[in-house]
Amino acid sequence: MESLSIHDPPPAGEQPVKHQPVPPMVPQLPPQMFTTAAQLLDLTDKKLMVSLRDGKKIIGVLRSWDQFANLVLQDTIERIFVQNLYADIPRGIYIVRGENVLLLGEIDLDKDDYIPEAFQEASVDRVFTLQKKEAEDRKRKEKARSKKLRAYGFEGEHMGEAII
Amino acid sequence: MLPLALLNAAQGHPMLVELKDGQTLNGHLVNCDSWMNLTLKEVVQTMADGGRFYRLPEVYVRGNNIKYLRIPEEVLDQAKEHQQTQQASRGGRGGSQQRGDHGGRGDRGRGMGRGGRGRGRGRGNA
Repeated sequence: MESLSIHDPPPAGEQPVKHQPVPPMVPQLPPQMFTTAAQLLDLTDKKLMVSLRDGKKIIGVLRSWDQFANLVLQDTIERIFVQNLYADIPRGIYIVRGENVLLLGEIDLDKDDYIPEAFQEASVDRVFTLQKKEAEDRKRKEKARSKKLRAYGFEGEHMGEAII
Repeated sequence: MLPLALLNAAQGHPMLVELKDGQTLNGHLVNCDSWMNLTLKEVVQTMADGGRFYRLPEVYVRGNNIKYLRIPEEVLDQAKEHQQTQQASRGGRGGSQQRGDHGGRGDRGRGMGRGGRGRGRGRGNA
């Protein structure tokens, strides 16, 4: 056995290892930040827009939630949209069953008062009637479409389940 | 106050239940459980298109059919008061602890919690 110490020169013939340039570190959130619980914890007592699977948009303050993402929303309004019009309906307190939530997000209060040019507020009655008509049209179209598809042998299992 | 605890607190109050198929039920909550199954009394059932109404003396709803519930504002206030009085009566140690609530904003999701496997003291060495 050769007795070597750290002060000995390296053996001849071997090239010193050239270091590759290290790629810049991209800051990454720890994986636990992507769990439902971590997300909802940050959103508690904030004003949120919750989009349900049936297409309803509800806006309110998240007060509580549980492991199923059941939500309690306070001071809620339902905002209904049709074409370039929208209307707000005050709705009070909601308990939303978690499985019906399509998505939710915090509302930027600085931008909340600013209404995008494309949109205009209208009376609830007006938006509601227009929306009803639109829904009927869509239903009719969907019916015709699925009828045709069925003739070709395509049978949709989850046709039109979620509306965005 | 968790959603299901709030639902419990809403017993005896009027509420609106919308089902996944779009039907709505307006009635007084009689009872509920941890699966969100409900019994309601004095119910007005409205079909999804809003065209037909039925008055039903009593209704059982299996929880999985629910989309959402709308409850009166005063239920939340009452529940809060109730919680506070309960907390006060518990008193002393742990009185300020909010059990089953997210008021604490503690160290959720960090650390191992109880029963996690620690380091060392494994199986020993054979």
